[in-house]
Amino acid sequence: MGRRTDRNKEPGGKLSVAEFLRLVPERLKKIAGSSDSDVEQAADYPVNRLAAEIHPGTQNLRIAKVCTLSADTKLYTLIPDPESGTASLAPFAPGQYISVRVEKDGRILSRPYSLASSPEEAAGNGKGDGVYEIAVRRIPGGEVSGHIHENWEIGTRVTVSEPMGEFTYERLRDAGCVVGIAGGVGITPFRSHIRSILRGGESFRLILLYGVRKEEDIIFGSELEEAAKSGMIRVVYVYSDEKKTGCESGFITPGLIRRYAPDSEYSVFACGPSSMYRFLEAELPALGLRRKYVRYDAKGQIMEPRGEPDYTPADGSEYSITVRRNGDGKTVKCHPDETVMSAIERGGIAVPSGCRSGECGYCHSRLVSGRCYIPASRDGRRQADKIYGYIHPCVSYPRSDLVIEVPPVPAGPSVRGDTE
Amino acid sequence: MTYEYDVVVVGAGNGGLTAASRLAQEGLRVVLLERHNLPGGCAASFVRGRFEFEASLHELCGVGTPEKPGAVRRLFTQLGADAGFINEKNLFRAITVGEDGFDVTLKSGGEEFYRSVTEACPGSEKAVRKLRKLMDDTEKALEYNDASKGSPSKLVMLLKYSKFLLSASHSIDDILRSLGFTLKERHILETYWSYLGVPADELNAFHYLEMLRGYINGGAGVPYHKSYGLSLSLADVFLKNGGEIRYNTEVTGLIFENGRVAGVTAGADEYRAKEVVSNVIPHNVFGMKGRENIPPREKRLLNARKLGISFICIYLGLDATAEELGIKDYSLFVAHMASSRNQYLAEHAKGMYVVNCLNVAVPDATPEGTCSLFFTVPIFTEKLIRGFDSGNYREMKSEVAELYIEDYERVTGIRIKDRIEEISVATPVTFARYFGSPNGTAYGYELSKWDSLMARNLSQESELNIAGLTFCGGHSVRGDGYGVSYESGMSAAEAVIKRMKGSRDGQKD
Ligand SMILES: Cc1cc2nc3c(=O)[nH]c(=O)nc-3n(C[C@H](O)[C@H](O)[C@H](O)COP(=O)(O)OP(=O)(O)OC[C@H]3O[C@@H](n4cnc5c(N)ncnc54)[C@H](O)[C@@H]3O)c2cc1C
Ligand code: FES
Repeated sequence: MGRRTDRNKEPGGKLSVAEFLRLVPERLKKIAGSSDSDVEQAADYPVNRLAAEIHPGTQNLRIAKVCTLSADTKLYTLIPDPESGTASLAPFAPGQYISVRVEKDGRILSRPYSLASSPEEAAGNGKGDGVYEIAVRRIPGGEVSGHIHENWEIGTRVTVSEPMGEFTYERLRDAGCVVGIAGGVGITPFRSHIRSILRGGESFRLILLYGVRKEEDIIFGSELEEAAKSGMIRVVYVYSDEKKTGCESGFITPGLIRRYAPDSEYSVFACGPSSMYRFLEAELPALGLRRKYVRYDAKGQIMEPRGEPDYTPADGSEYSITVRRNGDGKTVKCHPDETVMSAIERGGIAVPSGCRSGECGYCHSRLVSGRCYIPASRDGRRQADKIYGYIHPCVSYPRSDLVIEVPPVPAGPSVRGDTE
Repeated sequence: MTYEYDVVVVGAGNGGLTAASRLAQEGLRVVLLERHNLPGGCAASFVRGRFEFEASLHELCGVGTPEKPGAVRRLFTQLGADAGFINEKNLFRAITVGEDGFDVTLKSGGEEFYRSVTEACPGSEKAVRKLRKLMDDTEKALEYNDASKGSPSKLVMLLKYSKFLLSASHSIDDILRSLGFTLKERHILETYWSYLGVPADELNAFHYLEMLRGYINGGAGVPYHKSYGLSLSLADVFLKNGGEIRYNTEVTGLIFENGRVAGVTAGADEYRAKEVVSNVIPHNVFGMKGRENIPPREKRLLNARKLGISFICIYLGLDATAEELGIKDYSLFVAHMASSRNQYLAEHAKGMYVVNCLNVAVPDATPEGTCSLFFTVPIFTEKLIRGFDSGNYREMKSEVAELYIEDYERVTGIRIKDRIEEISVATPVTFARYFGSPNGTAYGYELSKWDSLMARNLSQESELNIAGLTFCGGHSVRGDGYGVSYESGMSAAEAVIKRMKGSRDGQKD
């Protein structure tokens, strides 16, 4: 009954066909009444301005300080360089990295480095007085790390990407306690977490298992010990090549993790060399943790691809890669255990790169013809990429001659990774 | 460098990819310039851990079945793109909480839809019959309109298709009321209003019913490899037909010659062409170098327009299956108040949002033992992101995500919070970054009353009328949405082909 009254109470309004005839005149009136000044530039809208602050693409910075941390590692302090167009540093979350660009012998090369300082330090007092810190370990025979060690000094101008990467703490996803596993210079993202926790930025409990070969390889030692006094952080040194009282020795195994982990739920965050990831991926399942509680940083370049569980041997000992870009073509040579990206860069062609780990998608390229070996541990492509023949050259190894279309490094600020 | 082509297409979104593919199919020399390093624009996906998330698509209307293809499926077939679609049998479930609330599920497919409406709205048989008649009449009116090549006889329209004229000039709410639907029934039928971004008391009835018809007939479709698969399939046919795509290439200027657009510039490079097709929103094009050549009447149009809506999207990878969690619906619309006008104006988690579970339609969309949820919160008013700044951006994203996750748990009784394995949150800032659109709008221009589909349609000959430049995409005449963006690309290409063929024939004489 109620429904009937409802229906009757609402007679069908007054619709009129004349409305149709009014559509155009009303529109014309509305348009005639508006201004013919230039339309506001998209960049001036508040949301776009915020987007530009958070995602500037590239940042132009200057070295403000250089510190030697150990025999092979230096700490660089970077500050904004307003003269080159960067007035303040882009915000980030601990665990993120920046891709650092260098020019060497006329070639543009880039490498990711974790931000080792905290977001709070990057913000400063909001007056462009913030800093980033990165710790650079010199890799024997390394192209870029060596170049940085030799050339970067106070005042050097450097171009870096905006902060990128997903190795961050998210309270909606991660446990309230994190067991951090740091291998060697893999301590850097944890230093950022720690400095943020101490400054009231992040809040979770961190139990840090810090693995190095010997005591002298430890960096940030006194700082870590000081931080441990806060009660939020615990630091355990694990030496693989020597024994010390009060410290662990050997590798960071499930048994060792269990010894320090809490009884309640915890997340494992791991950052270190590729050998460590390989070891942990094989060993960690023994802990029976849910997958959501195990997180790895972008895994970086594989040192010896032959050690990968799914390694596919090559028939040849050298392949040629034809790189097409904007109508031009150039051919370079590539060893089967060298990434397509590094061969192309060696050939003097700049390739967009961010993580160099297969994760950020920034090097996304079309494989026109040929076959590659792409280790499952690094394959961060989308389903459709695989179907339509797109690869991430940073983690692809040739298994035949290749023809590949590589996009140019974007001019200006539209450098973009795959973060939101 | 200076490059020469027949046509330059700017932007590889749905509209641009379609236009480029169609033009290349015609044998024209086409270059597609895209500032991002991927094709698709909105139609993209991204990977987090072992999950790949659909970035924007809920469902495509106008897919139909292989036997009874809808407009979108036909378009992909015509272009030779090999997209795989899956049909979804339910249109949506809508839960509106509160005193005038409801919990209903509407089905897609002709008969099933009307039956499910009658079930959800007891006593509405007569009104439903009238609605059905109106939908059929509208279809006939459109056929007549098409047959008359856009210049229908006013008299025939008035005599034979007056119902169509009414729906073409009134709001969906007025029309449904005139058919005899009660307030609550109207709210149920208007559930999809947010897809067009204008509250039902203002939203053009014809437009809404057209969209609804696309979803009802043959069912909504979901691409098997996400919308990004559709984008790559279009890029693929374009390349196979000799097209060229240049990524990481941002167009920054228009080249004018003799009052005509004769190409574009991207940094130091010039791309000259007989025709330019822009998938980039007119606002941005009119902000480029060369803007002094834009006639004042076009600037007036843009200055009169209101930008369309944007979104906050929450993407969740869960470490349990949909079944284990008790998730049964592909599309769930949650609202805390029934009136769309009030939803439009509401605070966070007090208005409306949509939650999709792709696994319901595509069971293997995520790895075994997992599923994903995709929350879409339309950002109708700027106040919803007021207070976001670069310092608190991350924390604000977590806070907003938490609000909606908890609300979803309360409304559905389904526990998801402790199952989150991956989470990602996109905001208007994200969309501003990826599309470069003003205020991160994903819907072009608001379909306000004066700027409705019909009003745009009737004026299209005289608007954005710049020789050598054709627009396509969610910001053009037909409004936002995947289906219409594809179709707008098609129309833009056809218009260009017609002009180019015409001028070629002209030269021969
Ligand atoms: C979260 C979300 C959910 C949605 N859900 C649905 C849904 O379920 N169903 C539906 O039908 N629709 C949905 N839509 C809407 C739909 O995605 C859009 O309306 C449609 O994709 C618009 O397509 P477009 O052709 O306008 O291209 P866009 O996606 O706008 O792409 C434009 C392209 O141009 C590029 N570009 C911009 N400026 C330049 C320049 N200066 N130089 C070179 N390139 C440039 C951009 O990078 C981009 O690739 C949704 C949108 C979003 C964001
Ligand atoms: S550089 Fe990140 S995927 Fe290749």
